[in-house]
Amino acid sequence: MKISGTNTLALAPEEAYRRMQDPVVLAACMPGCESLETIGEDEYRMKMKLAMASLSGAFEGKVRITDRTPAGFRLIVEGTGKLGFMKGEGLLTFSQSGDGTEVAYEGDVQVGGTIAAVGQRLIDATAKMMIKRFFEKLAA
Amino acid sequence: MIPQQFEYSAPKSLAEALALIADGGKPLSGGMSLIPMMKLRLAAPDRVVDLARIAELSYIREQAGSIHIGATTTHHEVESSAVIRAKCPLLAETASFIGDVQVRNLGTIGGSVAHADPSADYPAALQALEAKIVIKGAASERTVSADDFFVDTFTTALEPGEIVTEVIVPVEAASTGTSYQKLLQPASGFAIVGVAARIQKSGGKITLARVGVTGLSNRAFRAAATEQALTSGTAVQAAADVVAQAIDANSDLYASAEFRAHLAAVYAARAIDAAIRRTS
Amino acid sequence: MATPSITKLEPFIGKRIRRKEDPRLITGTATYVDDLQLPGMHFAVVVRSPHGAARIKSVDIAAAAAMKGVAMVLTGRDVADLACVPCGASLPGLRVPEHRLLAQDRVYYVGHPVAVVVATDRYIAKDAAEAVEVDYEVLQAVADPEKALAPGAPAVHPQWPDNTAFTFHQEGGDIEKAFAEADVVVKQRITSQRLIPSPLETRGCVAQWHAAEKSLTLHTSTQVPHLVRSLLAQMLGLDENRVRVVAPEVGGGFGCKLNLYAEEALTSHVAMKLGKPIKWIESRRENFLTTIHGRGHVDYYEVAAKKDGTILGIKVKIIQDLGSYHQLLGPAIPTLSVLMIPGLYRAKSMCADVVGVFTNCVPTDAYRGAGRPEATHGIERMVDILAAELKMDPAELRLKNFVRNEEFPFPTATGLIYDTGDYAAPLRKAMETVNYTELRKQQADARKHGKLMGIGMSTYGEICAFGPSPATPAGGWESATVKIEPSGKVTVMTGVSPHGQGEETTFSQITADHLGVPFEDVLVQHGDTAIVQYGIGTFGSRATAVGGPALYYAIQELIIKIKKFGAMLLESDDVSYANGQCTCAKTGKSVSIKEIAGAAYRAMKLPANTEPGLVATYFWEPTNFTFPFGAHIMVAEVDPGTGAIDIKRYVAIDDCGNLINPLVVDGQVHGGVAQGLGQALWEQAVYDDNAQLVSGEFMDYTMPRAHMMPWIESGHTITPTPVNPLGVKGVGEAGTIGASPAAVSAVVDALSPLGVRHIDMPMTPEKIWRLILSKTTGSNA
Repeated sequence: MKISGTNTLALAPEEAYRRMQDPVVLAACMPGCESLETIGEDEYRMKMKLAMASLSGAFEGKVRITDRTPAGFRLIVEGTGKLGFMKGEGLLTFSQSGDGTEVAYEGDVQVGGTIAAVGQRLIDATAKMMIKRFFEKLAA
Repeated sequence: MIPQQFEYSAPKSLAEALALIADGGKPLSGGMSLIPMMKLRLAAPDRVVDLARIAELSYIREQAGSIHIGATTTHHEVESSAVIRAKCPLLAETASFIGDVQVRNLGTIGGSVAHADPSADYPAALQALEAKIVIKGAASERTVSADDFFVDTFTTALEPGEIVTEVIVPVEAASTGTSYQKLLQPASGFAIVGVAARIQKSGGKITLARVGVTGLSNRAFRAAATEQALTSGTAVQAAADVVAQAIDANSDLYASAEFRAHLAAVYAARAIDAAIRRTS
Repeated sequence: MATPSITKLEPFIGKRIRRKEDPRLITGTATYVDDLQLPGMHFAVVVRSPHGAARIKSVDIAAAAAMKGVAMVLTGRDVADLACVPCGASLPGLRVPEHRLLAQDRVYYVGHPVAVVVATDRYIAKDAAEAVEVDYEVLQAVADPEKALAPGAPAVHPQWPDNTAFTFHQEGGDIEKAFAEADVVVKQRITSQRLIPSPLETRGCVAQWHAAEKSLTLHTSTQVPHLVRSLLAQMLGLDENRVRVVAPEVGGGFGCKLNLYAEEALTSHVAMKLGKPIKWIESRRENFLTTIHGRGHVDYYEVAAKKDGTILGIKVKIIQDLGSYHQLLGPAIPTLSVLMIPGLYRAKSMCADVVGVFTNCVPTDAYRGAGRPEATHGIERMVDILAAELKMDPAELRLKNFVRNEEFPFPTATGLIYDTGDYAAPLRKAMETVNYTELRKQQADARKHGKLMGIGMSTYGEICAFGPSPATPAGGWESATVKIEPSGKVTVMTGVSPHGQGEETTFSQITADHLGVPFEDVLVQHGDTAIVQYGIGTFGSRATAVGGPALYYAIQELIIKIKKFGAMLLESDDVSYANGQCTCAKTGKSVSIKEIAGAAYRAMKLPANTEPGLVATYFWEPTNFTFPFGAHIMVAEVDPGTGAIDIKRYVAIDDCGNLINPLVVDGQVHGGVAQGLGQALWEQAVYDDNAQLVSGEFMDYTMPRAHMMPWIESGHTITPTPVNPLGVKGVGEAGTIGASPAAVSAVVDALSPLGVRHIDMPMTPEKIWRLILSKTTGSNA
């Protein structure tokens, strides 16, 4: 499923750009993230616990940053658990917007396993909610 | 059903239930959402607290201009209640649109509200009715408006350990006309788009307009622009056309965001028209 | 000896008799596989791939195997020596992937079995299955058959990078000439989407190994118990007569249980290895993922015609999505579509090219209609499109092109011989039922008022009663045994395997009339290979049309013997048999079947050259298929605001020859129409680009429900087939075949003022809305 959108942060572009690559910040802002451990350059092992409605499950996976340019980079998050697997990939671009930064994202969410088959009607709404929470925490 | 192992308790009193829930138990009401998830092992609560045997949570009472509905009241009970049909027909009509007969016989208003499925039917009506939701925890009790209660997809104002114990809706004034109109997803019965309209007229003019929308986006909401347009004399279709304005519409296999936004306008007009007809 | 008192028994054939099966079904007392409880029974749960394509790096079973209650965990390596899941379809050059019971080094569809876990109860087995750790290297998958054929597509099987399982060409007549002589050629791409058969009862089996006897009993939810026995014995290296397969109550099949599945062999293998009875029950989710799907066609049609509407020739290219491997008949199904291409029409020339494509999806195979709905849908759509092109009434165009009554038996361009027909009759009857002329006037009026009203029709033919043995992979005959017990009660054992079709009732009716015994005295047994002589099973609208005649002939053989005993008892050479009585023509004296049975088993005295007992078995080989036909008309209105389709009327006129039980026939038509409308309006199996089945539960996959159905006005014309003595042709698939083209025809007709000529299924509200929008505003919204 394709995702795209923009979010405005009350941060300078350089600061937004820096924060969104900082594993400590990412770990704090990614919904359900329990740990993020560096395993290589721009590559982290992630543990997360997803809890939404009555659904809950642990996922283990990776967070990667690629295609870094001055304008932005690609953030790839993938996880596998008993409920299935998911992979989110977004190209983030940062631009000045007033005093703050407009972060535009464009990418793709793939879901597999049981959640893909039964959560179809909710994937869009859920992905949007998680992105929203991520930016809310980032701004906080 | 082959779920993971879980502990089951069915307390008879609310106090007992709240204590168990405070202790980490997962509340089970009608089970129309939780049980299918447990069956697929997408949900695996260690402890399930069944609220079905708590007599003090199942009631429909009229009291000082409001109707109080206990959380474990089933959709069928709401749909067929003489009091609700006569004094808050929008809620009864909305209940009659939920799922199918089996779901309505088991599903409860408290369960549906607490679950906050973005496509559930009740939230549209509760928004239009400006309903209040009573929340209790082992050591807390508060009442919030429907608008504050529905926060986001599956996200409500409930804190851990709290449950919905009651829903309060107004007794309608005689001049009020209401209607709930819905396009359902034929497989799940959930609303692709559902619109609840509540209109009061006086001297040929719309004096009050409340429009609740579900299914369209991350949460049920009141379409403020449409409401304002109606009370300022805009024609129904033109008022309905702004229902999805500034809303980030959901999309799934069955209906794209664009189609949902279009349907919202179609169903808003239908619901508003029907509500206006019913004011007389 | 009785005094002559022959009362004419009331005929049972043709009566609307309620089914004998129903009391146990509606009171919940029927015994399905999952109702079986055996001492020491263990449960199997299959660990399945969550990926559409992946390499298995490792499978770690240690945690699962260590769990309390777990008796066995097997992975691909443990079954590498066992035979593969068999494919019964034989086409020249067919590529057959080795489909082992458990994945070896690769998985090629979501749901692919990777391991099996056996435990003392189902909950433990499921917990342990979740504890099996499989490390996958995910590979690129492809789910769309046209994308799979494109250069550079991921290879479902690395050894066949073109993803082509087979190609098949057939032509008849002179197709070049037909197109050269045509005044008009119409072309259309027509799809028939993947569908999930979804019987009420999912698959399931219980296997029990009797070590001392070296024999295996398998209770399994199947349509073909004898075929399962033969194939399973081969796969497991057992003597066929030491394998007993029982189909207990079976809660629907629709073709998806016309197979031998990996799980049936796996459960049997585990039972043999462990020495315990093993139960495996498919969950609904597994059913969606791993039981065969149906349809999966992308077709490119071209029809050549004269200005006056005479159809000269039909060309079609069929792309069949086969999925990732072959189940029993999968690759053969599109060849049935090819046979059906001329429909009911006289078109003398045809040409078809089929390409069978591997995709990372569960296999497609026979699903109610199996190849014929796809073809009928295509050809009926094309006839409508041709009518629109020629500005002719679609009914008139059909009537013009039907095979004429005097032309039967009619040889088709595809090499079939249509047995008999009066193709105009059901269409005319359907048109009378709806008052077609008046309805067209109403439509013109409705259009003036801006309403989108449509009248759609389909006139369909079928190939049924599968079938002559040379045309079927495992024999096309059927068998019946009729026993008159010493008490005079009658037991029928049929080789067909009913699972909802009602043959316990209809075969009792046939027996009651032809043997002349009370309906209540007849017991019909089926589905147990230890009780019933070898049979072929229930599929392809064959049970009554092939199993019925087998029963008829067994009864005739038995009557010969009955008359011998009657003659002996009546001491006369001139006896007749009717209504359960042997009567001496001279004296008028008679003996009842009960008295004859008593004498035949007591055997104090026997007629010359006659053995005791009253049993006859008959294996009947049909000389041809039967070709039922019919016409459906649907009237619909489309809501331009929402794209919703409201079915105003639905008329189904079927000609399946003689009706044994019109109530059962109506039930078959109603169920079939529901499935056809399901495809036309709601159902679709959707795989995403990663080959994840995203319509994976009933939350997203729209099964038609009773309240979504229109009132079906069903009726019949009766043209008995000469192929069998009962004159019956089969009706199990008729409704499904007729419904989808009629529905699309109606909606296209409603939108035809906008210039719409075709809509692919399912006709969801959004699709219709967008179509209206694009035609009215020119936008491609």
